[in-house]
Amino acid sequence: MFDFVNAPLPIRGDIPATLRNEWGHLAAPGATLSSRERIAVAAVSRSSVDGGGVPASGLDPSIDDLATTLMADPGAVDEALVRSTAAAVGDPTTVEVIGIVSRLSAVDGFHMALAVPIEALPDPVEGDPTRDITPDLKRRRTHVPMPPGPIPVSLDLAPSEGIAMEDLAGPLYMTYSDMAHDDFARSPGLNRSQMELISSRTSHRNGCFY
Amino acid sequence: MLRGSSIAFGYELDIRAIADDRFHSGVPGGDVILPFVDAVMTGTASDQRLARNAIVDALGPESLVDAAGVFANFQMMNRVAEGTGIPVPGAAIERESEMVEALGLNSFYKH
Repeated sequence: MFDFVNAPLPIRGDIPATLRNEWGHLAAPGATLSSRERIAVAAVSRSSVDGGGVPASGLDPSIDDLATTLMADPGAVDEALVRSTAAAVGDPTTVEVIGIVSRLSAVDGFHMALAVPIEALPDPVEGDPTRDITPDLKRRRTHVPMPPGPIPVSLDLAPSEGIAMEDLAGPLYMTYSDMAHDDFARSPGLNRSQMELISSRTSHRNGCFY
Repeated sequence: MLRGSSIAFGYELDIRAIADDRFHSGVPGGDVILPFVDAVMTGTASDQRLARNAIVDALGPESLVDAAGVFANFQMMNRVAEGTGIPVPGAAIERESEMVEALGLNSFYKH
């Protein structure tokens, strides 16, 4: 799994380990969804961009709407769409879906960028949802409840989703320690300006203001 | 952040290059980095192969892996931002009004 034997060039060692870790996150029971349900969300969101048609996840249709739109056209996601999902299935499940789809877009995006076949979704495992949900959060002119602060806290309603996001971000982009240095550079590799050129263009093409 | 790092490296950044290919970013390798993102997001398999090869030739194979990683990370971050609706502080928008205008970002703003 994530061995990149067909990759056109060597892959930095921390990346395969990080992606395997993410598959573990995806397959584990979440705050509100079982392993099987989480993988169903991933499958329906992935199918929205692979041209193979979109099977229903078997979950509430509002989950499928959010998962497919967020994967295929993130700039089209608005408060009405997210709030309709939250009204149907609750804020914690909505945050969990956002976390699953967002991280899958990173995992699959890395493969696509290198023309490597995407990895099969993990097999489900047994276990009940953890119900690890942060209490007393509120919307702050945001689509979902969250504490005040920048993007790393935005999934804190379901803390395991935020942790999984941060686990991916360091190896793929920069760690918080790296970010402290405007002149950070991987050697060999890209420097920070070159990385931020990529991040800016990606965000612009996704229609993302943030 | 791009502005800060460009200053740190002594580059003369032209932020307009993010949105408009008529401008040069001023960042070394920008002429292969920006097309790489476009090719991955909307290009054909041939476009993507050419874009990957251009990065390897200009910046080295490790840079292509880095580029794929950063692209992947911001595919994720954009979706977290859009899904959660995390707001951009008004003060930041005001401070960066010139950039917002230059990149046509007002059309992306939903709050």
